[in-house]
Amino acid sequence: MAVTAEAATAVWESPPDVMGPSAPVPRAIFWSGIAALVSVGGGVVAMQLYYAIQGGTLTPACVQGGISPELFGARGVCNIVTALNAAMTSFFLYLGIALGAVAIVAGSVLYSRQDTRRKKEHCITGAILGVQAVVVGAFLLWFRASDPFTFAFQFLNFERIQDYWGGFLRAAANTVILAFAGELGGIVVGLVLSLLALSKRRAVRAPARAYINFFRGTPLIWQLSFFYFGLNLGLGLGLSGYVSAIVIFTLNTGAYAAEVFRAGIQSLERGQMEAARSLGMSYPSALRYAIVPQAVRRVIPPLMNEFVILIKDTSLIIVLGLTQTQLDLYNYAREGFADTFNATFFVVAALGYLAVTLPLIRLVNMAEKKLRSGLVSIAGAPT
Amino acid sequence: MTNAEDKAVVRLEGIHKWFGDHHVLKGIDLELDAGEVQVVVGPSGSGKSTLLRCVNMLEIPSQGHVWFEGRDITDIRTDLNEVRTRMGIVFQAFNLFPHMTALRNITVALQKVLKVDATEARDRAMEQLARVGLAGKADAYPGALSGGQQQRVAIARALAMRPTLMLFDEVTSALDPELVGEVLDVMRQLAEEGMTMMVVTHEMGFAREVGTWLIFTDGGLAVERGKPKEVFANPQTERLQQFLAKVL
Repeated sequence: MAVTAEAATAVWESPPDVMGPSAPVPRAIFWSGIAALVSVGGGVVAMQLYYAIQGGTLTPACVQGGISPELFGARGVCNIVTALNAAMTSFFLYLGIALGAVAIVAGSVLYSRQDTRRKKEHCITGAILGVQAVVVGAFLLWFRASDPFTFAFQFLNFERIQDYWGGFLRAAANTVILAFAGELGGIVVGLVLSLLALSKRRAVRAPARAYINFFRGTPLIWQLSFFYFGLNLGLGLGLSGYVSAIVIFTLNTGAYAAEVFRAGIQSLERGQMEAARSLGMSYPSALRYAIVPQAVRRVIPPLMNEFVILIKDTSLIIVLGLTQTQLDLYNYAREGFADTFNATFFVVAALGYLAVTLPLIRLVNMAEKKLRSGLVSIAGAPT
Repeated sequence: MTNAEDKAVVRLEGIHKWFGDHHVLKGIDLELDAGEVQVVVGPSGSGKSTLLRCVNMLEIPSQGHVWFEGRDITDIRTDLNEVRTRMGIVFQAFNLFPHMTALRNITVALQKVLKVDATEARDRAMEQLARVGLAGKADAYPGALSGGQQQRVAIARALAMRPTLMLFDEVTSALDPELVGEVLDVMRQLAEEGMTMMVVTHEMGFAREVGTWLIFTDGGLAVERGKPKEVFANPQTERLQQFLAKVL
């Protein structure tokens, strides 16, 4: 085997280049598509940054457009619109659209005549980027021709929320705490439930199934209010709304996680359990050493999905009558909106959610890759 | 129920097995003394794998008794986990734990079941890996091993428990033809060292050469039995004649 491998290396220094070379024209189409997108996107962003940093005064155009000086955050809003209407921005937009149009036409006309894969790829990619640049550019032109003043004032008035940044940070922390505690607890509850639900004894299975079906079959918002008002207040458990929320998130996520774990365990080959048992392991030992470690690796993506859903569902704590400092991102934004009638709060809330979820998704993808590295399917095993 | 006079390592008495309405085993008797190799051959669906799995109670016989080391292990009071530590089985699909290295596959049961300490478990595992010629692959995960290598690790895993009986369930059927030999060599060597073995196989050459006793199963019955060379040389039933004509 080693000999063959060496012989192969000697003949092929590297794999053959199946893409083939490109040529100036396809390459030009490709770069024209990229330039179009950079001009439209980068140009507009650069202009926004320029005006935001330079910080001009309230222009007559703004005042005429309805941004009167006494409005809260008028200067910042004015800068945004002024930057959008600047001659230089127009130049970037039209340049991008023109380059994009060239890439679209040239790319699609010349695509079929190319004689290497790379040339074809350059043509088609240039055309696709061109389409994106034209669409974005046309949208921005249309947008600034409509009523950018109102939009910017309502949605992009960041001065409006400058006193709320600390609150937003706390709200983001609350969102993470609620979701994380609920998910962690849910994983523990779910794992136990899944094992019960997989029992061969009906007497063990039935209560677990009833629990799972109940929590999957009723709305989370109902569970929150019923637990908090019905049980907590009614039975005098004395739990705060915040703790009640974590308890219910745990119980609810547990039901969903149980189904995820059950699917993960059932996806393992029957032979894994048989192998463990035939080595003299008890059923619990077999689960602990052979089955659960494999199932956990398999269910990371669906559990992650549950977690992302839970992050968004934390907003349902609205029914619990929490104090200002216990609110999550969405409800904090609602309060801000109620104070100011300015929708910028919702924009910032969305950014807050993304700031939490995007790194999380990335982290879990990395963890998944690492865990899976030891789990290549068994070569040669019949399936 | 024990019987100290019984010198057979394993004895099956009237084993029946139903899967639902399907009558897979229809009364099979068998006796195997220490150091003997019982081979079981027969067409697919004849119940030979089920028979083997009844020996270590992975399938519970619907009727009949399995005696192991003089004890009736079909007795409901038997601690099967304890019995299975002395009865190794190797499967067609290897069934190594894919999340553990070859070494860990072997040591996990030594440590968690037999409560052997980590150092000794490692020594015993390495000894068995060396015996199957895979000392160099101790830290490899199953996914990085060939089918033949995985199956040899599976054999080493069973042997490390120091069983008195080894069961082999069509262990070469899932292997590429070129990898069959390395696994059969290990089994042959094991038989020569005096291991008591029960082997379900399609490898007729191996059955003839290594088997002390052979049974030919068909339709849930042991249709023919005897010494492999004699049975092969002089098949009594038409069914075995047909079978041999096809596989030889």
